[in-house]
Amino acid sequence: MAPADSPADGQGTAGGDAPLAVELRRITKRFPGVVANRDIELRVRRGEVHAIVGENGAGKSTLMKTLYGEHRPDEGEVLVDGRPVQFRSPADAIAAGIGMVHQHFMLADNFTVLENVVLGSEPTKRGRLDVAEARRRITDISDRYSLGLDPDALVEDLGVGDRQRVEIAKVLYRDARILILDEPTAVLVPQEVDELFGNLAELKREGLTVIFISHKLDEVRRVADSITVIRRGTTVGTADPRTTTAKQLAELMVGAELPTPETRESTVRDTPVLQLVDVTVTDAGERPVVDDVTLTVREGEVVGIAGVEGNGQAELVDAIMGLRPLAAGRVLLGTDDVTAWSTRARREAGVGFIPEDRHRQGMLLDAPLWENRILGHQTRPPAVKGPFIDRRGARADTARIMREYDVRAPGPDTLAVALSGGNQQKLIVGREMSAEPRLLVAAHPTRGVDVGAQSVVWELLKDARAEGLGIVLISADLDELIGLSDTLHVMLRGRLVATLDPGRVTPEELGGHMTGARTTAGAS
Amino acid sequence: MTGLARRVGLSLFGPLLAVLVALVISALVIALIGEDPIAAFRVMVDLGDSPSQQVQSIVVVLNRAVPLFLAGLAVAVAFRMGLFNIGVEGQYRLATVLAAAVGAAVVLPAPLHLLVIVVVAMVVGALWAGIVGVLKVTRGVSEVISSIMLNFIALGLASYLLTGPLRGSPPGASIITTSEIPGSGRVPSLNGLLTGLGLAEPRSGLYGFLLVAIVVGVVVAVLLKRTRFGFDLRATGLSPSAATASGVDARGMVVKTMLISGAIAGLIGLPDLLGSQYDYGTEFTAGLGFLGIAVALLGRSAPLGIALAALLFAFLDRAALPLQFADIPSSVVTIIQGTIVLAVVIANEVARRLALRSAERAGASAGPDSGVGDGGTPPPTSPDGGQRVRAGVPGDPQGAQA
Repeated sequence: MAPADSPADGQGTAGGDAPLAVELRRITKRFPGVVANRDIELRVRRGEVHAIVGENGAGKSTLMKTLYGEHRPDEGEVLVDGRPVQFRSPADAIAAGIGMVHQHFMLADNFTVLENVVLGSEPTKRGRLDVAEARRRITDISDRYSLGLDPDALVEDLGVGDRQRVEIAKVLYRDARILILDEPTAVLVPQEVDELFGNLAELKREGLTVIFISHKLDEVRRVADSITVIRRGTTVGTADPRTTTAKQLAELMVGAELPTPETRESTVRDTPVLQLVDVTVTDAGERPVVDDVTLTVREGEVVGIAGVEGNGQAELVDAIMGLRPLAAGRVLLGTDDVTAWSTRARREAGVGFIPEDRHRQGMLLDAPLWENRILGHQTRPPAVKGPFIDRRGARADTARIMREYDVRAPGPDTLAVALSGGNQQKLIVGREMSAEPRLLVAAHPTRGVDVGAQSVVWELLKDARAEGLGIVLISADLDELIGLSDTLHVMLRGRLVATLDPGRVTPEELGGHMTGARTTAGAS
Repeated sequence: MTGLARRVGLSLFGPLLAVLVALVISALVIALIGEDPIAAFRVMVDLGDSPSQQVQSIVVVLNRAVPLFLAGLAVAVAFRMGLFNIGVEGQYRLATVLAAAVGAAVVLPAPLHLLVIVVVAMVVGALWAGIVGVLKVTRGVSEVISSIMLNFIALGLASYLLTGPLRGSPPGASIITTSEIPGSGRVPSLNGLLTGLGLAEPRSGLYGFLLVAIVVGVVVAVLLKRTRFGFDLRATGLSPSAATASGVDARGMVVKTMLISGAIAGLIGLPDLLGSQYDYGTEFTAGLGFLGIAVALLGRSAPLGIALAALLFAFLDRAALPLQFADIPSSVVTIIQGTIVLAVVIANEVARRLALRSAERAGASAGPDSGVGDGGTPPPTSPDGGQRVRAGVPGDPQGAQA
């Protein structure tokens, strides 16, 4: 690791004596019983892309909330453009020229780009929305930063990358000079990431400052001018991306080796655990969203499904779990035709489920952890005795899961909402594994979890696979897909368009298949 | 466990704050209409001078609280699942008129006679509420709309049955009623218990149905908290999408929950019917279904809380008569009840936010994360006493926190 307090020379844009856009001095933020941020030092020069890396529990969110005025630090100073500021709310931060692009988009789908951008700070003329003025300003922003936005397009028609640019435009529309991007690449495929980085370069050229939060170290090294690493609530150092390797960064970040998703030798056996035969699922308008999909998952096999989000993966998962009726086709679990089985019957037959959106499908946020242990396993011990809930058994088993899967929480009675994303995910994984499933449907199992939890999840999947578990893996993390899968299918517009050898394909090739730019013939 | 104590404290905080706010507002209203609030409150808490008067007052409160408690339970069971059964009113009125008619018509030995009446009432209530559930799962009709509409139909139907086929009172009588239920179908009073405890004999009988209500309350509490079915029900209420993904048959749960809610609603009229009226007539106690919604809200949809809320409302209702004697408008009671309901909705939201914050801190103490790293933020509260019905928006944004 190369602590680089020295000015970033070369590369022009960020001169050594550039004034600081943001400076945090000895920021400390306490919550009862814990110090979430301790003596944070952050110096972001004007006109640079400054990356903040760290595990999910490291305190990045807390720090960004401090900077964005969502709460006030207990100690320390925030300086913007050299002047000390005290934000009482995000509105104050916006007024000071700080804008936040959230990881989850906050857009109204049925509004146009223009309406979404102006929403909340509409230009008015005689009490009415001044569409002409709004259009002029948005077009101006779009041209100046090469965002390529059509003000009249409906947001629901836009792809993920475009939506993100709308979010960026929203922030720029409010005259932000400092942009905070929270995990902006989490939802993008490699090509879209390139586009985003192009946009960031434009922003930088116009003298804007970008604070880029991520834990994808290769990306950080590509885009950032300087890097600050946070570990266990405090800044552990800064690094120069040009002289620091990803491995060095990772060690700085976790104090350990970076885990790899790569599996060892193949454990695929012959017995199929899941067979989909000509499965078709239609949406409300009878349009096929999963179109004639046939695939087989054998014992000890990880079948990866790659695809840009929204190409039918979620519906495919629903079809396997019995959450959505099939328009055609059959689902076989082992030798049983489970096409007509309920979700519960399928779960009882040994299907584990790590849902894509854990808040929506995986947890009861307002319920204690031990009740979340029961969720999905309502009919099986140890949480249930006959028709009754076994509270003691559920609590004890929750405590065991917390111990074995390193779920950091005060106890089984803690509400699930109080846990960080990684800890929630570890609880879900632990819960599903505890039922010893035959088949695991894992949708984005490491989305939004930190490096430590990610490696835990990967290890668990590998171990379970070695013991004969069949896994359907859906992920947007291409390294994860390539590293874990034994067989890799690409899904595009509801169809399986390519089957690739994960041992030979590169993320770039895979990304090409996902967007339809490559065909099977052009692979390898 | 301090965390537990804190949670209990927070769950009491809402209703207590609501009652306090309601008292302050009511005092202002009483003062505005030119009466002395202190005097009014004094009249309300005065249970009487002699021991027998006091016991009588307590019996009146308890007798009123029993149907209110049952009504609150009926509403709460549906609330817990995220369903709004506004139709409790119609369900109990229809159940009561039919149970009264059947009770008067059949001749059976005492315990069996009573059992038939109770079963008829529960079945009628369940079926009537079941319509709402079936409409919801088959046609997607909002249970709020259908249950309100079914109220009108039920009240009309009950009136028609009362004045037509089930009429028992002689023609020309000023109050139309069904025929009287004979002694074998009545529930004996618990006055023996009171005198046995050394209390004065009250003028009216303490409803024996009180014991039935307590049993129902315990059964509901166990059902909700300790059974798999109750877990599925509460899980559906907390997050329909998560419950479905866990294997809960959401459609089946809607129908089952409405049947249970309706069956409990069918019991609401029975304390009065079997304890003092013995027939159903045009003067039969009305409005219990709607009060039940308020009671369930105040009791935060938990059986114990509902019991306390029912006692509070019954206590306030009892005060109506003494207030009139003191030349103070008895609408004061209605005002207090109304403001309690309004205040409880607000107070519950405040308490919920405090609870959430303390939960986040509890989580934060386990690791350096503040616990809200990736979007775990509150969607709006539903008006069921802090039980949230999650609409299930993927990637629910953090905006609500700002």
